[in-house]
Amino acid sequence: MSTPATMTWQKNPALAWREIDDETVIISPNDSVMHELNDTGSFLWKNIDGKKSAAELAQLLAENYEVTPDIALSDTQALLEEMSSRKLVVSAPAAGGVSP
Amino acid sequence: MTATMSPGTTPVMDRLISRTVQKHRPLSVHFDLTYRCNERCVHCYLDHDDHGELTTIECLKVLEDLARSGTLFLTFSGGEIFLRPDLYEILAAARRLHFDISLKSNALLVTPERAAKLREFGVRRVQISVYSDVPAIHDAITKVPGSLERTLAAIPVLLEHGLQVKLACPLMRENLMAYRGVMALAEKLGVPYILDLTITPMMDGSGGPLEHRASVSSLLPVLRDPALHGCKPQPTAQADSAMAALPPSLGSAVSSGIESAAYEDLPCSAGHNSCYISPYGDVFPCVQLPQAAGNLRREKFADIWYHAPKLERLRAIRESQLPICSHCEIRSYCERCPGLALMEGGDLLGAYERACALAEEKAGLAGVASPISALHLKQNACLIQTTHEGEFASHVANSSSD
Repeated sequence: MSTPATMTWQKNPALAWREIDDETVIISPNDSVMHELNDTGSFLWKNIDGKKSAAELAQLLAENYEVTPDIALSDTQALLEEMSSRKLVVSAPAAGGVSP
Repeated sequence: MTATMSPGTTPVMDRLISRTVQKHRPLSVHFDLTYRCNERCVHCYLDHDDHGELTTIECLKVLEDLARSGTLFLTFSGGEIFLRPDLYEILAAARRLHFDISLKSNALLVTPERAAKLREFGVRRVQISVYSDVPAIHDAITKVPGSLERTLAAIPVLLEHGLQVKLACPLMRENLMAYRGVMALAEKLGVPYILDLTITPMMDGSGGPLEHRASVSSLLPVLRDPALHGCKPQPTAQADSAMAALPPSLGSAVSSGIESAAYEDLPCSAGHNSCYISPYGDVFPCVQLPQAAGNLRREKFADIWYHAPKLERLRAIRESQLPICSHCEIRSYCERCPGLALMEGGDLLGAYERACALAEEKAGLAGVASPISALHLKQNACLIQTTHEGEFASHVANSSSD
């Protein structure tokens, strides 16, 4: 993964989204593309708040699901990379501010 | 364990509809903020007086209730929504609550500043009523001179501000053959469009607007038009994406406007994963099914949605169990609307003349020989039976007099 585990993340504020029965649907307003997160993806999505890093999110994931810390971090980083490439999340450098 | 994400509009939408229909989640809500309007369209089904609209605070509370209940797609409409002085406050709240926001408007009051505000508050799409590309026809329907010119001037303004625009054209006596012009206009603008053959009674059931409804026979040229089955004029990628989740060009009375196999054997989405809220807080299954299930000034949305007897009764209806329509041989050509069945035929479960006549025409155009709806078959059978009984009575009378 090219994204540092310490970098913090926040949701793209332009998105429409809703968690419905443990799954989250996200709509990109510019292209109307819909994205769907499963229950663990939804768990991570709920916890993406502009303050937590991938490592912190992975730790929460490991605490709440039966998964080793290594796999939790790997999965979390993969999902963040994927969401970042689709502009669903944006990274926030540790010093503050948001880089799209 | 894998945290996954599935992108793409149609498969995601299909799964979403299936899940929300199955579990009765209010995925899509149409919320009229006012019935007041700056046009006086001849076919309109609304009473434009203000009988006590929800206040700003009440509207915001409704939005919070809807977000908690799982609503994603939120359409604000009217009346004319720009007549709500608190529109931006309501939109800002909807944005904070992460709804996917659409508006319906006549666009008369759109300015660059207002378009920018809509964009700022996360509005994705604006549906605009256009009755013709000919000013005399459009303006005669809206009863506002110059309205077409003003409406059309607003469209590029909205597009320039990054909003999606969709044209909606209800077809009636006054503009029946104007649809070609509206299609051409949509193509020129690069926006989707929907033509709608549905003209409904007033919400109180009175039939004034029906005077403007085109007869079934006069609709034949429209039904025959092959251009209406493709909905092709979508030249932009943005419009393509938008259309993936939208209905075909020739619309009717589908409450959510979203077609899916998940609705199989259900009359429509109304009450299953969609509903309508009036400016006075009444919750209806659909704007075309004006039977209030409850009022948001007295009850929470979730209490109405999950427990109102009227909604529970509606959810139990299956098309395969409808007393007349389930036996209809041309059912697949029919766009029966339960709301219109109630308003026009007096029975939520019944057949009604307009849908049957339209289905027969469509079936005939599709090559079905002598198509006849179950309602008309039944009426014919009753007529024959009545005739026989009449003949028998006449015979008895004659015999008695012998």
